[in-house]
Amino acid sequence: MDLAKYDRLHLKPARLYFIPIFEIPWNSFDFPQSGSAWDEFVGFQFLERQACFRSDGCFLVKWSRLHNDAIAWRPLLMNPQPAIMLRDLVKSYGEVKALRGVDLAVEEGEIFGFLGPNGAGKTTTIRCMLDLIRPDSGQIQILGLDPQQNPVAVHARTGYLPGELNLDGNLTGRAILHYFHELRGMGSNTARALELAERLDVDLNLPIKNLSHGNKQKLGLIQALMDEPRLLLLDEPTSGLDPLIQRELLQILAEARESGATIFFSSHIISVVEHIANRVGILREGKIIEVAETSDLLKRAVRRALIRFRHPVDVSLFKELPGVSILSEDGGLSVLLQVTGDMEGLIKQLAQQPVIEIETERPSLEEIFMTYYDAKESEA
Amino acid sequence: MRAEFTSTLRQFRGQIISWGLALFLLSLMLVPFYESITGNQSQLLGYLESFPEEFTAFFGDFTSMGTPQGYLDIEYFSYMPLLIGIFAVLAGSGLIAADEEAGRLDLIAAQPLSRTRFFVSRVLAFISASIVIVFFGWLGMVLLLGKSGMDLTPAQLVLPFIPVLAYIFIFAALALVLSMLMPSRKLAASVSGLLLVADFFIQGFSNLITDLEPIARFMPSHYFQGGYAMDGLDLGPVLALSGLALALALLALWRYRVRDLRVGGEGGWGMSWLKRCQPATDSIS
Repeated sequence: MDLAKYDRLHLKPARLYFIPIFEIPWNSFDFPQSGSAWDEFVGFQFLERQACFRSDGCFLVKWSRLHNDAIAWRPLLMNPQPAIMLRDLVKSYGEVKALRGVDLAVEEGEIFGFLGPNGAGKTTTIRCMLDLIRPDSGQIQILGLDPQQNPVAVHARTGYLPGELNLDGNLTGRAILHYFHELRGMGSNTARALELAERLDVDLNLPIKNLSHGNKQKLGLIQALMDEPRLLLLDEPTSGLDPLIQRELLQILAEARESGATIFFSSHIISVVEHIANRVGILREGKIIEVAETSDLLKRAVRRALIRFRHPVDVSLFKELPGVSILSEDGGLSVLLQVTGDMEGLIKQLAQQPVIEIETERPSLEEIFMTYYDAKESEA
Repeated sequence: MRAEFTSTLRQFRGQIISWGLALFLLSLMLVPFYESITGNQSQLLGYLESFPEEFTAFFGDFTSMGTPQGYLDIEYFSYMPLLIGIFAVLAGSGLIAADEEAGRLDLIAAQPLSRTRFFVSRVLAFISASIVIVFFGWLGMVLLLGKSGMDLTPAQLVLPFIPVLAYIFIFAALALVLSMLMPSRKLAASVSGLLLVADFFIQGFSNLITDLEPIARFMPSHYFQGGYAMDGLDLGPVLALSGLALALALLALWRYRVRDLRVGGEGGWGMSWLKRCQPATDSIS
């Protein structure tokens, strides 16, 4: 058994983990033998030996409370299939075509940012994944399962935060979490929900109708995260959250990813995407127009740089730099530049000039879209 | 499933209290007057004869006011279908569509509970709420029964409430199925309410206009036994109405299982000619 290709993972007690059988090289379904590499599995209780091989290719194991401090080996690839696979997804509402053939694959353990302007089809895509709406055509696989055939199994493995969160205003935060806790069949262990409530700083004793938008959003996030699902589908998760709580949320999501969860989220806030997403997909008018590494996307973005000089310089020098264009100048004392891609060349050039001040604007998501859309239209 | 059942029942708490209390007080107020009414029956009959026939047709045979069955039928059960039907229509049309239109259903439906189990949980909670409301009506009658001079037992008084329940179920199921088929809860409630009122009036007028009788046969209230169920419950109509309610509920379940869940403006009847007259929605992002 080649353990080099495996990650080490601290498993948490009293949780169920899913390990694909193809990654477990034993014969005739025997338990791991002592003295072998399987020693790493000491502390697991294998449930229902013969019945634990699941249709999605996973092996069901339960972590024993007796070995809380042990470390187990976890297969690097939990599932041979992507966590999310969408193929040629089409969805219309009457004459409005919301999705026009969405193709997308998101690997397990990935944090994927889903970007697009209003009406692009982000929410529709997410709702199709959960079988809340049915596509006109196309295929969906969530963690190897078809949500139309196995909606309950998909929901059991998925935490969901809707884009427009609405909760029963007459309930307290505690009561609504208790309700979702029971719906998910999580028994009486509410420790995780309480821990999240503390980290996100939300008072669970207030009626929901008295909570601000941000605090309601926190409840939505807690209900999505409290079951520690394998997949998180979050539609605008940072909406209404203040910067401190946003940072805490990003930390929680990073921890979820470390535990093996896949996170698929939509957002309009570039700093969120930049901080956390491995890859992003851009949706436009119901079609994925690009899937890229986050860093690649940001490189394509346009930035503006306002540079002031101690004495007039020849600003035409900047025209020669790749990806740089001059928007305006002030007799050589200042120049407003537009920079596409990285700023390395510009910085080298500026080092040779009598620069007294540099102001740069981070690109907004809209600007990235526009840059990207312009590029696509030029290609067309 | 238990969690959804409990939660829905809790949502019915307000309706249980208001409708239950209303029926309880109505029942409680009615029973003690029995002796004084029957004591002045001839006087009362003379008074009632002054009412137009079109009015009295809705309340049954006034000459039977002298019996407990007749008294309760005229004073309570004759208009109960219309009264309790309002609860049935509102509760049935909102059983699922209320949460859907408020945008709450999306998150609930994303939990590991199948649509069938969710639907059944809610229907069971509604049935339980209806039984509790009707129980309060019965309780109001029973409390002062001993002092009323009515020669009835509490068990006998249960019988006329059984057709009331069947009547609730049929209109609730109708409203429920319409809420699954129509673009909005309001429309489903309006159509069901219209049918409820039509049912009451057609049945009432069919007592005067014999031409209406064939139509009245298709109306649920035609099979509503009222206070005379105390003399012996006719199970046939009760089972027929309950069976029809079950069939409608199954149709609603089928529709709920196969259709998209709406979020503010999605879905509808796909009437493109009508949509052209309306501003476009951006709620599909």
